Amino acid sequence: MQEAIHFLTVRELADRLESGAITSVDLTQMYLDRAEQLDSPPFDLPSEPRTDHGGKLSTMVTIASERALESAQRADAELRAGRRRSILHGIPYGVKDLLDTDGIRTTWGSGIFRDRVPNRNAAVIDRLQEAGAVLMAKMSLGEFAGGNTSSALNPWKLDRTSFGSSSGTVSACVAGLIGFGIGTETGGSIVFPASAVGASGLRPTFSRVSRLGCMALSWSLDKIGPVGRSAEDCGHILEQINGYDARDNSSTDRPFSFRADPGSMRGKRLGVHRAEFELSQSGQNRQVFQEALDVWEMMGVIVEDIELPLYPTGALFSTIVTVESGTVFGPLFDDGRAAGMFSFNEDRAAGWMAGRMMPAADYLTAQRIRSQLVREADEIVSRYDAVIAPTWPNGAALREVSNGWPIPARNEWEPPDEIDAQTPRLNYIANLVGHPGLNIPCGFDADGLPLCLQIVASPFDDQSALDFGMSFQQETDWHMQRPPYPWRE
Amino acid sequence: MMIDRRQFTKLAGAGAATVALTWQQACVQVAQTSEVSAETVGALLDAQGPRGIYAEAEEFERLRRAVGNSIRISEQLRSFKLDDDEQPLTIFRRG
Repeated sequence: MQEAIHFLTVRELADRLESGAITSVDLTQMYLDRAEQLDSPPFDLPSEPRTDHGGKLSTMVTIASERALESAQRADAELRAGRRRSILHGIPYGVKDLLDTDGIRTTWGSGIFRDRVPNRNAAVIDRLQEAGAVLMAKMSLGEFAGGNTSSALNPWKLDRTSFGSSSGTVSACVAGLIGFGIGTETGGSIVFPASAVGASGLRPTFSRVSRLGCMALSWSLDKIGPVGRSAEDCGHILEQINGYDARDNSSTDRPFSFRADPGSMRGKRLGVHRAEFELSQSGQNRQVFQEALDVWEMMGVIVEDIELPLYPTGALFSTIVTVESGTVFGPLFDDGRAAGMFSFNEDRAAGWMAGRMMPAADYLTAQRIRSQLVREADEIVSRYDAVIAPTWPNGAALREVSNGWPIPARNEWEPPDEIDAQTPRLNYIANLVGHPGLNIPCGFDADGLPLCLQIVASPFDDQSALDFGMSFQQETDWHMQRPPYPWRE
Repeated sequence: MMIDRRQFTKLAGAGAATVALTWQQACVQVAQTSEVSAETVGALLDAQGPRGIYAEAEEFERLRRAVGNSIRISEQLRSFKLDDDEQPLTIFRRG
């Protein structure tokens, strides 16, 4: 019984906290005990990617036990006094270790910043504190949000990638180590890891969530978003973390109010980028994706195939990210700290340095192409309530094969062989143009690894993506499947 | 040696022009040989300041490859057909 509590959704946890069936202190202590049992000790940023995790998931860089219990005590006192700040009140969460936390080290996943202790909170942390949520842990990630270096294992199969970036957050969610999580995404860092482990994760519309206090990888591409055990979880979390922030100059004043009931889906239009189904290596995977579409058709959703424009999305990402990252991380090169990066990231760092050298005209050309893509993609997506494709066409690859990517793939700074016909195009386009995207599990491959879909909607229509996700999860239980870890051994 | 503002502007302008010319030189090298020479990468690197980790041969070689990749990517973008009226998203903002 106690074990099941760890896997409850935000709504279920909130109901139990509000009714007094459990207290925030008990809940927090349960997650802490579980973290101690399954994930201890928090690893200390090894200087090289680890091959032996000692059977631990390694989802947490730092566990803030004492502070979490103090927050939980305050949350309980307020509940006893009849004050519930939000649905997240009293629920322990983990945040990717890119977001500053006052008095708790924030490493960006790098040994270079092993002892970096901010004296402020990121805007998202402040909002969650205001919402009554309990900060429990800083979650592991690839160094500077890339690669397998310091990342968490995949709880479904420990030899498979969890896709590096937001890996600690997503693995902990599906393994029942936290109540919910916060990840970040530049080009796929929420939805790809979520896909690798079968979590529900939302990349919100660009500019909806303040990035203040979060490490910048690319100012014009970075997003912060929720990870949970259901689409509904993601909606509740987004409602609390979204909102205008004048300190983030991309922030917009378009408040998001979540509606947990998707209502009738009859007559809604779903565009399917069928070409990405064909990228899958197996007929079984393609069948899984097709059966997911059948679920919506049974609800009366109108499903239509769509085409997406061919743009050099890989080249756009390479240019924009390397120039912006090269600028962000310039001081690491100037004072020599870059020498302390993981070996995996030596090539990545060279790309950033090359980005610093690139003429401004080339960066502006990339942003001009992106501008055109925004118009085209907005127009296509606006014809539908949502557009859909596999988040990644196959299950998570072996860690040593993928080096942090779900399948063997080129690094971000390497030019594509052709104009990106063989990539998850919907994801890359949606990321470049700032569309919201929700990852939901929809089945398993032949190796028992999760397969997932990404639901993309028009800018600021995050609710539509969530509606499709919630309606699917009302009819299926893929999001309720639990990884065999640690009982598999 | 003290230099006045006019002299500084001239020097800085010459420096920027040199970097731009060096990048163009690198583009020509990639077009002709598929790679950038160590001398050209060295000149680009020195324009950024101290060489830092790239003073080491192995790291420098990584950088040389990365510069070559950046140039191939730039060529791909430069050849993409764009409307003359298209403006860059210098501040990306939705809504």
